[in-house]
This record gives sequence, structure tokens and C-alpha cells, in this order.
Amino acid sequence: MIFNLANPLRFQRLTEKIEPITLNIAIILLLVGLFFCFFGSPPDYLQGETVRIMYIHVPCAWFSLMIYSIIAICSIFSIVFKHTLADLISRSCAPIGACFTLATLLSGSIWGKPTWGTWWVWDARLTSELVLLVIYLGLIIINNAYEDKSKADRYSSILAIIGIINLPIIKWSVDWWSTLHQPASISKFSSPSIDPSMLLPLFIMTFSFFFFFISILLVRVRGEIIQRKIEVIRFNRMV
Amino acid sequence: MGKYKVKLDFFKLVKREIRIMLKNFSIIYSFSTFFVIASLIFVFSVNDISYVKIFYKSIVWIVLIFSIMLVSENFLNEDFNDGSLKELQFLGFSEESIMVSKSIAMWVMIMIPMLFLVPLVFVFFQITLYELINLVINLFLATPSLTLISILSSLFSVQLKRNKIIQFVIILPFFVPMIIFTTSTGTLFESYNLNENQFLILIGIFFITLPVCLMAGRLIMKEINK
Repeated sequence: MIFNLANPLRFQRLTEKIEPITLNIAIILLLVGLFFCFFGSPPDYLQGETVRIMYIHVPCAWFSLMIYSIIAICSIFSIVFKHTLADLISRSCAPIGACFTLATLLSGSIWGKPTWGTWWVWDARLTSELVLLVIYLGLIIINNAYEDKSKADRYSSILAIIGIINLPIIKWSVDWWSTLHQPASISKFSSPSIDPSMLLPLFIMTFSFFFFFISILLVRVRGEIIQRKIEVIRFNRMV
Repeated sequence: MGKYKVKLDFFKLVKREIRIMLKNFSIIYSFSTFFVIASLIFVFSVNDISYVKIFYKSIVWIVLIFSIMLVSENFLNEDFNDGSLKELQFLGFSEESIMVSKSIAMWVMIMIPMLFLVPLVFVFFQITLYELINLVINLFLATPSLTLISILSSLFSVQLKRNKIIQFVIILPFFVPMIIFTTSTGTLFESYNLNENQFLILIGIFFITLPVCLMAGRLIMKEINK
């Protein structure tokens, strides 16, 4: 199935069908999620209304890590199997991941001012997330630096694989070091410490962001495929 | 016999790198000069010397990172441009051995002389002898990782004809853990006496850096020679 879709043309045809569906689902979930965020969930007893930033901040943070994981997996695929599609996906994911990371940092900063009394602290979680943003920027720069795109893809794959080191640091930084940032409230191994009335909008927003990410990714991958086609046509004309 | 030959060849490779470094002595000279001048500029930029005394380790490390990255670029570019990088691979040397030999040569010819320059910091920054010893141990343990990462960064940029600054943007984030642990060794040494653990972390960073850089270096070298 995966290898069948590895053909860029087949994938392009598939994205044309899927993309409008995912975008519509994302918009509907976003509207429902925003309703629950503002009207369906109570303010926090300690943080008050500022807790609502969490509904943006937490999904963005999850996606910043998830997108990097996708890039890393695609990079391994690209190096081992030399999949063109894996290159296209990792290339398309980098700016989206950077945007999610930036949104995480900005929303966290806006939340930090009323809660911690400062916009920024050099806390292990915040610092490692900032490093993730810089790695994303490095990937974007590398993707655009080389004239030969296949070389750029290979180099960015190598950089992405090196950058995997940062993912466990971000995830467990709150456990390894004593940080101002609170530890994870939602864990796979224990029941969540968030009230269900807050958990519901959080999950709706997460799914909304997921479908939004998929639709943006599909548009970007399609764009990359078209761009490469244009380059091939130009090259053939020159020859 | 076979093992012995491989061993001998590797040492020949290291010897070759050191010879090249000695021929291009200007690299060592310019590195040392840059290191001293850049450190001095920090002192000039701060009116109160007490601040410099607090941040001496950070200043030394930042200057060191930039100077080593500038040097490593020359180091690999020549080999790439004259084709000897390709030739070495053609002769049967593995990418890892090429990278390790370059790192060893760079560490011996640049980092070790740099350790002799560090006492200048002792004079300029007015730090205590105790702090100086701490800094030297710190540099001695952390510079092997630094060398490996800087060689990797120059490998990334070796095929770039313009915009060489990219190598800094790509690699600088990976210096963050090193900077954090190297600059925290001194304070722990004084207050909690946990310096041994902190220094062990530097050795630990090296053992993480070594396989990662070798793996990445191998992949990049293969890509360069395609």
C-alpha cells in the first residue's frame, strides 16, 4: 500500500480527492472546538480565563513534536529506500512544523506572562522547544540552499536524523530537570489530571489541528510535485 | 596481518592530516590570533571587569565555537577542491576513518595549542588559578566533541558555493547542550562539589557525539562524492 502510493503521480491524484474532505472536517471541528473552548468549558480555579490558551498551546506543542517525528521517519525512508515521496513529505512538513513550534512558543509566552509573571524563562522545556524551532529553520534553509534538490533532500534528511536527539529531551525535560513548566497532564499510563470538561475541547481542537495539518501537508506535497514536474519540463526544453 | 595493515593505514592518514596542518601553519596562527582578539573584544565591550569575571567561561566558549567553525571550513574545502577527499575514499579508506583522522589532527594541532593560550584568559579576565584549572579541564574534555561537530558542519557546507553562513545556522543548535554543561561545570565545582558528575557529562556528550557525527559524516561524504 505504502509502496504503491510512493509513486508521486498516484499520490497527487489521491491528494486531490482527500484534501477537500480533510479541510472541511478541520473547519467543522475547529468551529465546534472553539465553541467548547469559550462556552463549553469552565475557567480554571487558579488561572482563570487564561487557561483557554491551553486549547491552542497543547495541540500545537504535540504537533510540533509529531511533525518532527514524521520528518525523521521520512528521512530514514529517504536514506534507506530513496523514496522521492518521503523527500517531498519531509520537505513539505518542515515549514508547517516550524509554524506549529512558533505557535507553541508564542501561545506559551502569552500564557506565561499572567501566570508566571514573565514572557520567557530559560526553562529546560522552553529551551528545548526553541532549539526545535531552530532545527526546523535549519531544515528549511538547507532545503533552499542547494541548487540540486536531491542533494538538499539528502542533507536535510541527515540533519533531521541528527535532530531526533532533541525529541526525548523535549518530552522528558520536565521530568529530568526541575522546571517551571508543569509536567505532562495527559499520560498514556495514568488517568489524565485534567477535568473532562476541559479534556473534551482539548481533544476536539487536537483533532481539528490534525486534519488541518493533513490538508496543508497535502497541498504542499502537491505543490512540490507540480514544481518538480515544471523543473523537468524546463530541463527537457533546454536539452 | 590484515588488521595490522588497516591500523597502519589509519595512522598514516592521521600523519598525513597533521603534515598538511603543519604545512598550512597559517591556519593555526590565524585561529590563535582570532581566539585572543575576539576574547579581548569582549573585555573592551564591558566597562566593569567584574562582569567578565562572571561570564569568562561563556565568552571563551562562544569565541571558541566560532573560531573552530571558521577554521574547519578551510580544513575540508581544500581536500574537496583538490579531489583528495574522493581519492582517499577511492583508495579504500572508510568515511569514518577519514573523519576521525581529520578530527584527531584538528584536535592535536588546534585544540591542544589553544589550551596553552587559555592562561591569557587568566590574565585578561582576572580569574583565579582554581578557575583556570577548571576551565582547562573543561576545554580538554569538551573540545573533542566540538571538533567532531565542527567538521560535520563544514561537511554540510562544502558543496555550497555561496551563503556559507548556513553552516552556522544548521549546526549551532547542536552546541546548546555542550554550552549548557560546559558553562555550568565551574559553578557546581564551587558550590555543590558535584563537578565530577558534570565533567562526566562532558565525556558522555562525546560518546553520543562520536557515533552520531560519524554516521552523519559517512552519509554526507557519500553524497558529496556522487
